[in-house]
Amino acid sequence: MPANKKYLTKSFSQRFAKISAGILGGYMVTMSLHLALAYWLNHANVIMTLRFVGFIIWVALLIIAFLVKNGWKTWGIYLAITFVFALIMYVGKIYHPIP
Amino acid sequence: MMKMSNRVFNILFHTHTISGIVISAVLYVIFFAGSFSFFRDEIISWERNEPVLESNLPDLDLNAMLDTLQQGQDLYGRDITFSKYLEGQRIAVNLSAPKATTGEQKGRKRGSYYYMNIDDFKTYTYASNYSIGEFLYRLHFLAQLNLYGRSGYLIAGIVSFFFLFAVITGVIVHWKKIISSFYVFRPKASWKNIWTDAHTALGILGLPYQFVYAVTGVFLIISTTVMSPPVLSFLYEGDTQKMYDDLGLGNKEFPMAMAKLEGEVDFNRFVETTQSYWSDFYIKSVKIYNYGDANMHVAVEGHPEYSRDFIGEGELVFNGKSGEIIHEKNPFENTSYIDGATGVLYRLHFGDFGGTGLRVVYFILGIASCFVILSGVLIWLVARDKKNVEERKRKFNRWLGWVYLAICLSMFPATAFTFLAVKLFVHEFDASRMTSIYQIFFYAWLFFIVLFTAKRDNFFTNKYSLIIGAVLGVLVPVANGIISGNWIWVTYSRGYNDILLIDIFWLIGSLLTFSIAITLKRDEKRKAAPRAMSRKAKVA
Repeated sequence: MPANKKYLTKSFSQRFAKISAGILGGYMVTMSLHLALAYWLNHANVIMTLRFVGFIIWVALLIIAFLVKNGWKTWGIYLAITFVFALIMYVGKIYHPIP
Repeated sequence: MMKMSNRVFNILFHTHTISGIVISAVLYVIFFAGSFSFFRDEIISWERNEPVLESNLPDLDLNAMLDTLQQGQDLYGRDITFSKYLEGQRIAVNLSAPKATTGEQKGRKRGSYYYMNIDDFKTYTYASNYSIGEFLYRLHFLAQLNLYGRSGYLIAGIVSFFFLFAVITGVIVHWKKIISSFYVFRPKASWKNIWTDAHTALGILGLPYQFVYAVTGVFLIISTTVMSPPVLSFLYEGDTQKMYDDLGLGNKEFPMAMAKLEGEVDFNRFVETTQSYWSDFYIKSVKIYNYGDANMHVAVEGHPEYSRDFIGEGELVFNGKSGEIIHEKNPFENTSYIDGATGVLYRLHFGDFGGTGLRVVYFILGIASCFVILSGVLIWLVARDKKNVEERKRKFNRWLGWVYLAICLSMFPATAFTFLAVKLFVHEFDASRMTSIYQIFFYAWLFFIVLFTAKRDNFFTNKYSLIIGAVLGVLVPVANGIISGNWIWVTYSRGYNDILLIDIFWLIGSLLTFSIAITLKRDEKRKAAPRAMSRKAKVA
């Protein structure tokens, strides 16, 4: 039985928002999380982790993006999280620069 | 127990379906070719009739190989690497461009790469060294689609990313009934139930395997391309060299002394020393830096034998002149996180740590994954072949089913045909070899795809792709016996196990497939027999 259509997103802008938030936004969150950690932990190990765990986190964020009702809200949250990680990166760069 | 709303269930179900149907045909090709790649080295030995008895680096005569290389070219000041990528009689030799341009070395000199037979020191270029094993191995990450840059790798990577997505959403969708549906198989029920039961049971059985392959696959093929640009620009500020060094991918550099080394150097000694230094150490490559220069160095690299340790990377670097060890990386102790993680991801993907038995199990799981993919497509098809679906859409779906099944199922007869035709007709080991293998496989595949698509009957495609593949496959060991004289009893008694394995594989595999295929019967009476399954049903 195909999925019941009444639960699926019909509007184009919402679909676009969800898919783009999941793929692009998910990528930004994954990358910024690891980059932020890289300044505070052993950076080479964090980058290695990113190369495989990163994909699992990214897929999880993509799934979440499909589940949240408003795709633009997902974009907002993902951007906000990216911003927070970017701040941690910024501070990390000052106190623990990569040698 | 986690409770899932109808909304969550339906959304995830839908994303699982869509991502699955989009990647299915390509993923099938990846899994099918990838499963054969477990036996890449054996396939190559079989194809060239070069049994592998002794091919470990310690058994090679590096001095003699270097003497052979010396003929016709000046090796002074080059970096020379001997590496053993696979179990075979030929070893890969990489020559860098000369670093010093002395008087006698004028003119354009470039690096080169070729393969050398360890017994007769014959050399082969990449194209003349090409093989069915290499072809199927590269097909499984779509190297043949690298028409625009590395477009093939990128497609393979994106497919494995969405494969990971489909695996995870599939588990969530089935979560509530994951235990009970594992035990359900209703062979007498409607087609839709049969495909669903098979998809779920084999999907759960293969779940760890498929999850591992999705993650390691995406890591191996696109992790650098996709993940490194932001890392490079933010963390390393564009310093590629530094990033590669940190990740252990960098190359060593030794400055040239610009003076020739006096006296003879015995290169075999470095390997012998390494062997006595570490027992249980598997030597993978020998790299000579600045050949013939006063500042020559030799690095011997490898890993612990897998029977002893699962992970670990080791290396001894010698001074070429004095022979003393100037750098040591112990493969058995203090394995770094990076080496460990990389090692685990590679071993899990290549399945090369547990001998032939493990690879047979991996192969079976790989083919089972092909079945999960196909049954998924068939569920999709059957579920949409309803009276309330628009005729235009149903027509599209039916065509999609015919084409997808033809693409996927034709791979088996096309592969069997390639083994047969290459053994019978392609005996030259020159540059034309690569082209011949390409043409044989792709034209055979295209022929079967066109044939089965034109027939527009999924039952026919299924039954006859298996029968044709099995008939061709059973001829593979016969062809090998006629051409090379290495009949199954000959390879068995001489202990050519790698060649024997391929013949036995085709023999047993084909007989098994044949016996299954001839019992397949078109079931007209099956409840709600979907029209897409057969044209005859539509007429009836």
